[in-house]
Amino acid sequence: MRDQILRALERSRADYTEIRVEREWRTEVIYRKDNLENLEASSELGGIVRCLVGGGWGIAVFNSLDDLERRVEDAYRIAKAVSTKVSEKATLAPAQAVQDEVRVTVKKDPRSVSLRQKQELLQKYNELMLKQSDKIVSTSARYTDSFKEVTYANSEGTFIVEERPDVTLLLSATAREGEKNIQMGAESHGWLAGFEAVENQEEKALKAAQRALDLLKAKPVTAGVYTAILDPDLAGVFIHEAFGHLCEADFLFKNPRLQEILKIGRQFGVKELNVVDDGYLPGLRGNFKYDDEGTLRQKVYLIKNGVLNSFLHSRQTAAKMGAQSTGNARAVNYQFEPIVRMRNTYIEAGSATFAQMLKDIDYGIYACGAFGGQTMIEQFTFEAMYAYEIVRGQVGELLRDVVLTGNVFETLKNIEMIGNDLVIKGSAGGCGKDGQFPLPITTGGPHIRVRNLTIGGKAA
Amino acid sequence: MRNQMRAPDLLERVATQTDAAEIYELHSVELPVRFRAGALESVKVVETAGRALRIIKDGRLGFSTTTDLGDDTNLLQNALESARSGDPAPFQFPAKQPAPPVQCFDPQVEHLDEQRLIALGEEIVEKIRAYDATVQIDAWAVKELEEVTLCNTSGLELVSRRTVVSVGASVTRAQEGDILIIYDQDTSRRVDKIDGAAVAQRIIDRLRLAEKVVPAPTKAMPVIFYRGGVLVLLMPFMMGLDGRNVFLGVSPLREKLHQKVFDERFSLIDDGTLDFAPRSTPYDDEGTPTARKSLIENGVVKGFLYDLKSAALAKAQPTGNGFKSGFMGGGFRRPPGIAFTSGVISPGEKSLDQILKDLDEALFVENVMQLGGGNPLAGEFSNPISLGFLVRKGEIVGRVKNTMIAGNVYDLLKDKLIALSDRPEWVFGFVHAPAIAVDGVSVASK
Repeated sequence: MRDQILRALERSRADYTEIRVEREWRTEVIYRKDNLENLEASSELGGIVRCLVGGGWGIAVFNSLDDLERRVEDAYRIAKAVSTKVSEKATLAPAQAVQDEVRVTVKKDPRSVSLRQKQELLQKYNELMLKQSDKIVSTSARYTDSFKEVTYANSEGTFIVEERPDVTLLLSATAREGEKNIQMGAESHGWLAGFEAVENQEEKALKAAQRALDLLKAKPVTAGVYTAILDPDLAGVFIHEAFGHLCEADFLFKNPRLQEILKIGRQFGVKELNVVDDGYLPGLRGNFKYDDEGTLRQKVYLIKNGVLNSFLHSRQTAAKMGAQSTGNARAVNYQFEPIVRMRNTYIEAGSATFAQMLKDIDYGIYACGAFGGQTMIEQFTFEAMYAYEIVRGQVGELLRDVVLTGNVFETLKNIEMIGNDLVIKGSAGGCGKDGQFPLPITTGGPHIRVRNLTIGGKAA
Repeated sequence: MRNQMRAPDLLERVATQTDAAEIYELHSVELPVRFRAGALESVKVVETAGRALRIIKDGRLGFSTTTDLGDDTNLLQNALESARSGDPAPFQFPAKQPAPPVQCFDPQVEHLDEQRLIALGEEIVEKIRAYDATVQIDAWAVKELEEVTLCNTSGLELVSRRTVVSVGASVTRAQEGDILIIYDQDTSRRVDKIDGAAVAQRIIDRLRLAEKVVPAPTKAMPVIFYRGGVLVLLMPFMMGLDGRNVFLGVSPLREKLHQKVFDERFSLIDDGTLDFAPRSTPYDDEGTPTARKSLIENGVVKGFLYDLKSAALAKAQPTGNGFKSGFMGGGFRRPPGIAFTSGVISPGEKSLDQILKDLDEALFVENVMQLGGGNPLAGEFSNPISLGFLVRKGEIVGRVKNTMIAGNVYDLLKDKLIALSDRPEWVFGFVHAPAIAVDGVSVASK
C-alpha cells in the first residue's frame, strides 16, 4: 500500500495533496434488558484524498483502494473548480515532514479476545444491574472496541502509520415506580486501552443500578439561579462545552468580529483559572501521537491565569491567524476531512478543599456526573446525572433533572473556587461537531464552585 | 482489482452455512459543497460502498459489516462467530410483500453536478448577504444517490435507488455581549422541491426579529413551539411509541393502547409513503413494506412502531419501521432498529397569527439546545432556548436569552393544549408539524 500511496502523491498535479487510509477492526456488544441487541464483529477499509489547488479544497472519499490515482485526480479536478470561486485562498502553516510508525501495545488486544468473552462479560454486568431490584425495569449495557491502523501521507514528504485503539463501556439502568416515575442511572467510560480496561468493573454496574433506584426518591430541582459546586466529571464537561469549543479556531478564523471579541489576552476568568488541552496523557481517549494532518500532539494552555492564551489550530487556521498548528486537526474517520477538535481538555487543580467550598453556601446545588452538553458559542448547556441540595454548608437531599446553562463571558468569571482534586476521564460517547461524531476525547477538572448558574426545571 | 461477488451470489454461498441470511448492501455517491464566511471553501465527492450480513444459525442471530467488498470470507466468519453467542432469533426474514408506490428517486438529481450545487449555495449566501453583509454565512448544498440491494434467503430481492438533496445555512452575528447563531435548512428527495430562497428568507426574518433582546420572566406560562421547537414535544413520543420500549415495559404509553390520554385535537401519524419525503421508501431496511400509521388519533393511542425483532417479541406485526439508523439518515453499519419515517402532526384551525393574538404573554420557541435533555422517556424535557422570542399582547416583542423551559410533554398535551396552527411545515425533512401552543410550561430566566 505504501508504494501505491507514494505513487499517487507523486503523480498529483495539486499544490498540496494528502492521503489518509484507515483500516479498522471493531466489535460491539449491546444488551437491553434480557435481550442481546447486538453482537457484532466488523471491519472497515477506506480512505480520503484532500487536494489544495489555487487555494481551493477538493476532497474525495472512497472504500475501494484499487484506483488511488483516479481518486487523487477527482480531488484535483474539483479543487480546481473551487479555486475559480474562492474569495480568499486557503494556505497551510509550514510543517516539518515526519516519517514515523507508531505501534501501540495494549495488555489485551481486543482483536484477540473472542466475541464470546466480550458477550459473557457484558451479560454479567447486565445481570448485575437487573438483579438489584424489581424496580429496575430495563437496562442497557454496551461495550465497543475499535482498533484502527491509520496511514497518513502528504506531498510534503510526511508518511505516518499509527495504530489507534479505543474501548468504551456504557452501563445504564432504568428504574420505575408507579406509572410516571421513571429514572435512569448510568456509568459511562472510555479508554485508550485494551480489553483489560473493561474487566472487573462490577462496581460500575452496581453504581448505575443504585443511582437509578435512588433517583426514584429524589426531588425534582426547582428552576432558578444558584451557586453550584460541580464535581470533576461535570466540571470537565462544563469547560469542554463552555470554553473548549470557543478555542477551536475554525469557527472564527474568517470572522474579524469574532476575533475582535475573542482576543488573545482577554480576561475570561479568575486569576486562579488555568485551562489546558493536552495531547500527552497516556491511556486517555484521543491521545494519539499525531493529528490527521501529521502534526505532533502538544500541550496547549487555552486559559492561563484567567486570560485567553491560545486557540487550537489546524494548519489552515494557523496560517490565516499567524500561528502554528497545535496538532488539533482531527477527523472522526476516513469519511471526513480533519477539522479543529479538542483532545484532553481540563481545568488545572487549584487549592480549595471540598469542605471549604461548601462552607458558606446557604442554599445551593452540588451537581454530579455528566449526561453531555452543547454550545452555541456564547451560550452553553450541560446536564448532570444527579445532584444534591446544599443547605447551610451541608450536602443534603438528592435532586434530579438538573440541566444547567450559562453565558461563557459571565460564567467563567463566576468561578469562585477551584478544588485541589483534578480528575480527567473519558466517557463512552464522544464529541460531535459538523456531523463528525463520536470523536474520542476526555474532559476533566477538580471540583469547582460557580455562582449565578441558571438551572431549568419546575417553576417555584 | 479483487473479485467482488454480487450480493445475491454471496447470499447463495452464505446460505449453505446458515439456517437463514440477509444481505443489505449500500452504494452511495454524495457531493457536498461548503461555503464558509460567505465564500466557497470545498467540494467533496464521497463514493462509498458497504455490506451488512445478518444470519440465523442454529436459531441464533449473527451480524457483521464491512466496506471491503472483496473480503467475503471475513464477513462470513465474523457473522458466524457472532451467531455462536448471539441472541435467539424470534423471527424469520420476510418474503417479498406488495408495497405502496412511493417516489424516492429523482432522475434530475443524478445529473446535478458541483456547479449546480454551488449555484444553490450561492443563492442562499447572496440573499442573506444582501440583507446584512456583516454576518458570517456558512452554507452548504449536497446531493446523494443511493442504491440499496436487500436480499434474503426467504426469496426477497429488492434493489432500490434513492436520491436526496439538501441545502442549508448557519449564520453567526457577533457583537460584544451578544453572539447569535441561526440555522435553517431544506431537504427533499426531489431537487425541484428545494427552496433555497425560502431558507434564506426564514433566516433573514429571524435575524430581524432577533435584533432586540428582552428579559424573560421566571414562571409557568404559555409556550408556542414552532419548527425546530416542535421536536421538544415530539422527542418523548419517538421513545414512548417505540415498540421495543413498549415491550420492555419502560414506555409510559405501554398500557394505554386504545385509551384517550391526550387532547382530542392532537393526532400523530408516522408516514413512510409520502412521495419524495427524505425518509420515505416503499420498504424498510428489513424488507417490510412501509405504511401510513396512525399512532395517536384525536388523543387516543392507536399503535406502536415495530421492526421484525421487537414485533416478534411483542407478538405484534412489524410496521415497516426497521431502519439501520435513526432519523438522521441511512447507513449499513448498524443492525436494524426502530425509527420513525416522517412524523406528521395534524394541523388545527387557527392561523399562527391568530394564536399569537390570543395570548397576553408567552414564549415563542423555534430552537432549543440539548434536545432530549431532561428525562424524555418519562416525557420530561428541560432545555435552554437557543432561538426564542417573547410575545406580549399578541406581538413578538424581542428575543430572549439565558432562558430555559421545562415540563412534561404527556401532561402538556393532555390538558394544557391551547391550539395547533392551521399550516403545518416540514422541519429538518423528517417532521411535518404545525405550531403547537401549550400552557403551563416552566420558564426560568436570568
